[in-house]
Amino acid sequence: MAPARTIPTITWAMIVVWLIFASVPLWIEKVGLYHYLGVEILIFAMYALAYNLVLGHAGLPSFGHGAFFGVGAYAFGLAQFNIAANLWVCLAAAVGAAAVAGALVALFISHRRGIYYALMTIAFGQIFWFIAIKAHGLTGGEDGLLKIERLPATLGVTVFDLKSNVALYYFVLVVFVAVSFLLWRIVHSPFGRVVKAIKQNETRARFVGYDVWRFKAAILVISACLSGLAGGLFSMAQASAFPDVMSLHYSGYVVMMTLVGGGLVSFWGPVIGAVAFFLARDIIGAVTTGWMLWFGLSFVVLVLFKPEGIAGIYQSLAQRRAKAAAPVVAPNSQAR
Amino acid sequence: MTSIVNLLPHLLNGIALGLLFSLIALGFMLILGLMEQINLAHGSLFALGAYFAYALCAARLPLPPDWLAVWAAVPLIWRFAAAVVLAPILVAPFGLILERLMRRTYGRDPLYGLLLTFGVAMVIEELIRVVWGTPDYMLPVPQEISGGFIMLDLIWSTYRFWAAGMAIVAMAVVWVIVERTRFGAMVKAGAHDSEIVQALGIDLTKLRVWVFVLGTMMAAFAGVIMAPLWGIRPHMGVDAVVPAFLIIVLGGVGSFWGAAIGGLLVGMVVGLSSAYASEWSMLSMYLLLLLVVTFRARGLFGKKSVLEV
Repeated sequence: MAPARTIPTITWAMIVVWLIFASVPLWIEKVGLYHYLGVEILIFAMYALAYNLVLGHAGLPSFGHGAFFGVGAYAFGLAQFNIAANLWVCLAAAVGAAAVAGALVALFISHRRGIYYALMTIAFGQIFWFIAIKAHGLTGGEDGLLKIERLPATLGVTVFDLKSNVALYYFVLVVFVAVSFLLWRIVHSPFGRVVKAIKQNETRARFVGYDVWRFKAAILVISACLSGLAGGLFSMAQASAFPDVMSLHYSGYVVMMTLVGGGLVSFWGPVIGAVAFFLARDIIGAVTTGWMLWFGLSFVVLVLFKPEGIAGIYQSLAQRRAKAAAPVVAPNSQAR
Repeated sequence: MTSIVNLLPHLLNGIALGLLFSLIALGFMLILGLMEQINLAHGSLFALGAYFAYALCAARLPLPPDWLAVWAAVPLIWRFAAAVVLAPILVAPFGLILERLMRRTYGRDPLYGLLLTFGVAMVIEELIRVVWGTPDYMLPVPQEISGGFIMLDLIWSTYRFWAAGMAIVAMAVVWVIVERTRFGAMVKAGAHDSEIVQALGIDLTKLRVWVFVLGTMMAAFAGVIMAPLWGIRPHMGVDAVVPAFLIIVLGGVGSFWGAAIGGLLVGMVVGLSSAYASEWSMLSMYLLLLLVVTFRARGLFGKKSVLEV
C-alpha cells in the first residue's frame, strides 16, 4: 500500500536552513558576533539534532548524552596522538568510540522507558564523566586533553586547511548538511516509522511483531554515533577536550536546547534551540552575570505552558493565521 | 583475620556515610514515593540549605551591622543549632513555589515534571552563583562536635558520627510521620488511590503541599548536615541529587526501608572500596546500581510505580 503522504527527500525548510547557515560567515561579524560562535552553534545544532532522534522521535528521555559527545571528543584527540594525525581517521575514531559507548549503554537500558530511562541514562552519564575525570593517564583528568590540532582535510589531491575559524565553519557546515540530511532520511525511513510507532505505544508495537528492544537500541547507537561526531568536531574546534561536556549540566543543556527549540514537534526544532541557547549565552551573558538564570526561567515557563517550544509557538501562530484567513473550515480538517 | 580488622574502620565509616546518603535521599524519596514526582531540584534545595546555614553560622546576613555584631557574638554552638533549625524553614518557601509550578504537570507525562525540576535546579544553582559567587565556603563547626576521638587505637571524626546520628533522628521523624500519624495514612492512601481519598472528603491538594514542603525541608536539613563534610559550592546540588536518585532506584521506589537500606548499601560499598582504590570509590556505587537493577528491575524492595509508566 502506498503511503498516504510521501515525504520529499529534499524540503524547502532544509534548503532554507542550509542556505542561512552558509551565509553566516558573511554577516556574523557585522552584527557584533564572532566566527567561532558560528562554529559552536553548528556543532551543537548537529548534536541537538542527533539527540532529538532519541528524545523527540523515539520518546526516550536520555539525560546522559553528554557521555557520547565527550567520548567522541576524547577519541578524536587520542586518535590524533596515538593512531594517526589524519582528520578522517580521527573523526572515524570519534564516531566509532561513541558507537561502542552507545552500544554499551543500550545493552543495559533498552528494555526501559519513561522516567526509568532518564534515571539510568543519568547514571551512565555520571559513570563516563567520572571516568573522564579520574583516568588522568588517558584523559588528562580535570585539566583535559590539550593541544588537539585542527587537522587539514585531505580530499584526494586537494587539501583544505582548517586552522582559521571560517574554514573550520565551512567544513563543519558540510558535515552538518550531511548529518541533517541523513537524519531526515532515517526519521522518514521505514525504520524511523517503527521507532515512531514505539514512541506512541510500545506495547502495541511489540504485539504487531516488532522487536522493540532492537529498535530502541539501534536508535540510541545511531544517536550516540552522531553525537560523538559532533563531539569530535568540538574538540577540534576548541583544540582540547574537557570532562565538562560530559557532566550532568551539559547533558541537560542539550535537553534544554532541544526542548526550547521545539524538538518534540519539529525536525528542525533542535537547531532553533541551539541557536537560541548560544545567542542567549552571549547576549544575556554580556548584559548580566548569571545568564542561565534567565534562560532557565524561560525554559521553565516553556515546559509549563508550551512544551512544544519555539517551533510549536510558530506552528500554532501559523494555524491561527490560516484559520483567520479561512474562517469556514470543515471540522475534521483540523484533526492534524 | 588481620585483613578483616583492617577493614573494620572502612566498614564503620561506610555505615556512617550510608546513613548520610540515606538522609540525602530521604526528601527525594518522600516526594517520589508519596507524590510520584521526580524532584531533580532536590539537590539545589539541598545546596540552598547549606548556603543558608553558612549565612547564619558565619553571620553573613543582610541585616543592619549592629544586629549582626550581636548575632556574631552568640557562641558558635548556638548559631549552628539555629542554622540546623532555621535553614530548612528558610528553604521551605522555595519548595512551596516549586510545588505550585509542578501542579501544572500533574497527570501529564512524568517527563514534564522531570524537565521542569531540572530547569528549576539550573535556576537555583545560578541564583546561588549570583548571590554568593563561585568560591567554596566551609561551614564552621562548633568545637563540641568537631575534632576527633580515639577508639580501637584509631582516630575517628566526631562530626561524622554526630551527623550520622542526626541522620537516624531525621529518618525516625519521617518514619513516624509517614507510618504512625493520620497525616501519613491519608497521604499514603492518596498515593495509592487518589480518587477514593478525595471522595472521602480529604483535600489531597493541600496534603501534597505539605508533603512537598516536608521533602524540601528534609533536603535543606541534609544540606546543613553535609555542608561541613562536603564543603559548600554552587554545584554541590548535583553531587547530592545523583546519589539520592541512585539510592531510590537501588532500594526500590516507594519503599521507606528500601531507601534506608539502599543508602546503607551504597555507603558501605563506597567505604569498603575506598580501602582498595580511594580514587575510584564513588564509581562503585554506580556499578552496584547496575548490578542490582540488571537482576532486579524494580530495585531491592520496589513496588510497581509511576516510573514504569
